[in-house]
Amino acid sequence: MILLIILLLPIVTGLFLLLLRNPATVRIIALTSAIVNLLITLGLIISVPSASYTVNWSHFMGTQFSLGFDGISLIMILLTNLLFPFIILSGFTRAHIKIPVLNFLILFTQSALLGVFLAQNAFLFYIFWELTLIPVYFILLLWGGENRRAITLKFFIYTLTGSLFLLFGIIYLFTLTPGIHTTDFSAFNQLHIPAATQTWLFWILFVAFAIKMPVFPFHTWQPSTYTMASKQGVMILAGVLTKMGIYGALRFLFPIVPQGVVYWQNTVIIMCLIGVVYASVIAFRQTNIKRLIAFSSMAHISLMAAAMFVLNYYSLQGLFFQVISHGVTIVALFYVVHLVQERTGTLELPQMGGLKHAAPNMAILLLIVVLGSIALPLTAGFVGEFLIITGLAQFSIWFAILGGSTMILGAIYMLYAYQRIMLGDINPAYIKVKDIRALDFFVLIPLIALILILGIYPQPILNLVEESVKAMQNLIPVN
Amino acid sequence: MVALISTIAWLVPAFPLLGFLITGLAKNRLKNNQAGIIASTLVSFSFITAVILFFSLRSSGQDSVTVTLFNWISAGDLKIPFAFLIDHLSITMMLIVTGVGALIHIYSIGYMHGDERVNSFFAQMNLFTFSMLLLVMGANYLILFIGWEGVGFCSYLLIGFWFKNPAFNYAARKAFVMNRIGDLGFILGIILLFFTFKSVSFTEVFAQAGTLQAGAPLITLITILLLVGAVGKSAQIPLYTWLPDAMAGPTPVSALIHAATMVTAGIYMIARSSILYNLAPITLNIMIGLGLATAIFAAVIGLRQNDIKKVLAYSTVSQLGYMFLALGLGAYSSAVFHLTTHAFFKALLFLGAGSIIHAMGGEQDIRKMGGLRKKMPVTYFTFLAATLAISGIPPFSGFFSKDLILTKAFENNPVLYVLALGGALITCFYMFRLLYLVFFGDQRLSSAHPHESPRVMTIPLIILSILSVFGGFLNIPELFGGKSGLGEFLHSAIISKVTEELAGSTEIGLIISSLALLGLIILLAYRTYVKKAIIPAEDSKSLSSFSKAITNKFYIDEIYTALFERPFGFLSDFFFYNVENKVLDAAVDGIGTATSRLGGLARKLQAGNMSFYLFAMVGGILLFIIFILIV
Repeated sequence: MILLIILLLPIVTGLFLLLLRNPATVRIIALTSAIVNLLITLGLIISVPSASYTVNWSHFMGTQFSLGFDGISLIMILLTNLLFPFIILSGFTRAHIKIPVLNFLILFTQSALLGVFLAQNAFLFYIFWELTLIPVYFILLLWGGENRRAITLKFFIYTLTGSLFLLFGIIYLFTLTPGIHTTDFSAFNQLHIPAATQTWLFWILFVAFAIKMPVFPFHTWQPSTYTMASKQGVMILAGVLTKMGIYGALRFLFPIVPQGVVYWQNTVIIMCLIGVVYASVIAFRQTNIKRLIAFSSMAHISLMAAAMFVLNYYSLQGLFFQVISHGVTIVALFYVVHLVQERTGTLELPQMGGLKHAAPNMAILLLIVVLGSIALPLTAGFVGEFLIITGLAQFSIWFAILGGSTMILGAIYMLYAYQRIMLGDINPAYIKVKDIRALDFFVLIPLIALILILGIYPQPILNLVEESVKAMQNLIPVN
Repeated sequence: MVALISTIAWLVPAFPLLGFLITGLAKNRLKNNQAGIIASTLVSFSFITAVILFFSLRSSGQDSVTVTLFNWISAGDLKIPFAFLIDHLSITMMLIVTGVGALIHIYSIGYMHGDERVNSFFAQMNLFTFSMLLLVMGANYLILFIGWEGVGFCSYLLIGFWFKNPAFNYAARKAFVMNRIGDLGFILGIILLFFTFKSVSFTEVFAQAGTLQAGAPLITLITILLLVGAVGKSAQIPLYTWLPDAMAGPTPVSALIHAATMVTAGIYMIARSSILYNLAPITLNIMIGLGLATAIFAAVIGLRQNDIKKVLAYSTVSQLGYMFLALGLGAYSSAVFHLTTHAFFKALLFLGAGSIIHAMGGEQDIRKMGGLRKKMPVTYFTFLAATLAISGIPPFSGFFSKDLILTKAFENNPVLYVLALGGALITCFYMFRLLYLVFFGDQRLSSAHPHESPRVMTIPLIILSILSVFGGFLNIPELFGGKSGLGEFLHSAIISKVTEELAGSTEIGLIISSLALLGLIILLAYRTYVKKAIIPAEDSKSLSSFSKAITNKFYIDEIYTALFERPFGFLSDFFFYNVENKVLDAAVDGIGTATSRLGGLARKLQAGNMSFYLFAMVGGILLFIIFILIV
């Protein structure tokens, strides 16, 4: 029952919001629902060791409306419900038009995402997977920036194409199940698919996730979409939606086509690591700060994807830790960037500079988030990246060097970006810029506190996924 | 006593952390010198606590005490407690960091007086002290690494403290990035250590190190990776170029971070890992080579620098080279001894330079100084003491520590000794060149009105000069009737490869001959810069090609820019404009276009009708359901 509440609370609230007119009321209700959902989630994590919810929904399809979770889904649900209050709160700034619709769409996204993470069969998974696209599509289209029509279309077609492969894969797996066909993950996991089949089926299943994460070279929709997206849009995309790709890969690839994974392991890891270096190098010369961060996010996600395919204890622990850490950091980062844009009216780095004179507090907060992003010890980013690099090193020292290069490259482009925004001589255009306001504190201080707390005391997250990590590890035959 | 140590050890880093929080959070409220007083007081408290720890450890009868605060990371075999190791080596470092640190903090009250961001300055200095203490107190490599990266970050902040100037910001980033290059090597070394020993704690790693065979490839690789980290942090060839640029920071920063403490972290780390390095003769030889090359190379560049802080910066690089030489020779305690005396005299030199710059109204060019001896007597005498110490004139502190290293070099190979001695002579020359140009002759800049600095600045100078003069007595060799106190003290923490003692008549001969040479060098410098009063040429004047190369620091910065920085920028542009836009994105668009052209139906529906795609998606799901129903 509790899972159903978690799943439906956002969308039900969202539908209710459509009946309201007053923007302030709408926001407060939306925020309250998100916070309540977070509290329920935390309660769930603390109290219940495992919960699953199953209901006979459509027995004739051999499939049920079944919800459940393990450590992996729990970490994703935690991430989603942790970030959405901040995403909603960050919309409290100025009066947008259509506040009820916007908040409805945001809550709709939240429900769809939670559905993805809770679904216990592939059919349900796929429906929620596709459902997330609908509200996100409208958020991008209605509140996006320059060129939003073309970019949104591309994003939409690109991800949809990936999903079609996934759909095909699911149908194929469905036909393989013995007896009455089913799409239950538990049944899929029992299939012993011939190795030869696994080698091609791997890609059918992987493409959708590779696009969603995104992994090099399936990433080309991402930089322009992030750049164009509204503040809340990009927070959803970068903070949570990318993790859907990781989650999907974990659910489908390792249990179902383990031999396919082993067969392609090196190829995919190298692909991911190329992505790390490639995106980091590109980020250096970007002039649009959001595009720069988009590439930086791609580098981080690529490293996480590499960790996933290395598939040993440390890399997986690092991966899950980084899921939370990256989500929190990137949301904070995009928030500050939008703050800078609101103050300066531009996203172009060459036009910025010297903002620290007028906005010293903003500079300090940005710097701390930057430190989290470049994984300075005692920030959450360090714990995640250290574990990931440890995992990579266990697999191959060369992979560790390639993945670890993000330590150097990240410092190069992030500190350069920070300098170009904040440092330098007083910029006459920005003398009267306002520093951080109360709302910004409410959003940024908790996020920054999380970055530091998780960096100083990471153990709760590590413990949360311990069992799942051990289970994942055993899925792949040791070679 | 052990209980006392366990109870109060955390206070040592906690005081400066508290100072950081107070001065940082209240930076808009603190007036006048309040931040400076708070910051200095808290670092002094740290020093007092360290002194208490020192005596407690002595009377406890134990060599080391591990203090665990909480479990930081625990995942699988990877168990990393947030713990401190209090032993003779870490206490020595704690005393240096907090002692010299407190003096520099006090000095800064005078030096930074009137700066509009003085409160931020003290917050950052305290944060640095905190990080540095984590570095030297950490009981395992990963806690050390927290401090290691923390000091790197504080160094970044303080180099770019005057952030209006783009060149300073560039210098700050350069320092951080070059350090990070080293840090990648370091962290990989730590990870390999973990896989080898299933632990990264010092005691457990060193206890098991004996199981490895000396010279085994694994231990060689680990020690080299750790060395990469040390080379970055301690500014050795090829990662030294950030340190001269780091002089962009306020002068007390140069004294604390870029002379006395942070840059010696690499030496500390390797001395700490002495047991591992003893097993890796190849790595030791690499360190001899790197250290000696850096010592001489940087000293040569120092000969022709005219910015007072740049001379001292290259001198620091060079002196760190000597410490690496000592490490490479397996004389780790000697390296720590030189680290200690260097912390005294180099901090003193930088603070003296700060006093001079302060008096000259911000002028740093020694060609424009001169005649300051009478106007600034305290600064002069303290600076003189430091100059004598760094040149290795007995009985000043540098004499004992440097001669110990030279003798060890001689025992290893006379050629090493000759080279190292050559570097020492060059050091002596550029230091006396600096001294004479600044304090002797006539004042050359008429616009300046030099005056002695206030007492808050001169008292730290005096205390440091006492330490620079007598610091060598910490470790008087038996040859001179001493007991090698520091070497003995460190013995429980450092396993030396060679006996770190001076003995026999050869050594006496070496010392006498080197002293004679030093005397000649000082005389030469005196004749050149005082008697003949030669002032180094203006920058515009054409020089012989070799002198020009030295003046331009052998164009290393330009070479690095051409080899790494520019190609990196080109690569970034190439990836973005050519690979990303012209290949990858174009391919995706191409596939999209081709697909849409395939069917006439698709073309009709593609006329910008977005909702069709939503419809198609829902339709797809419906088809899926139907499919399931049929099958």
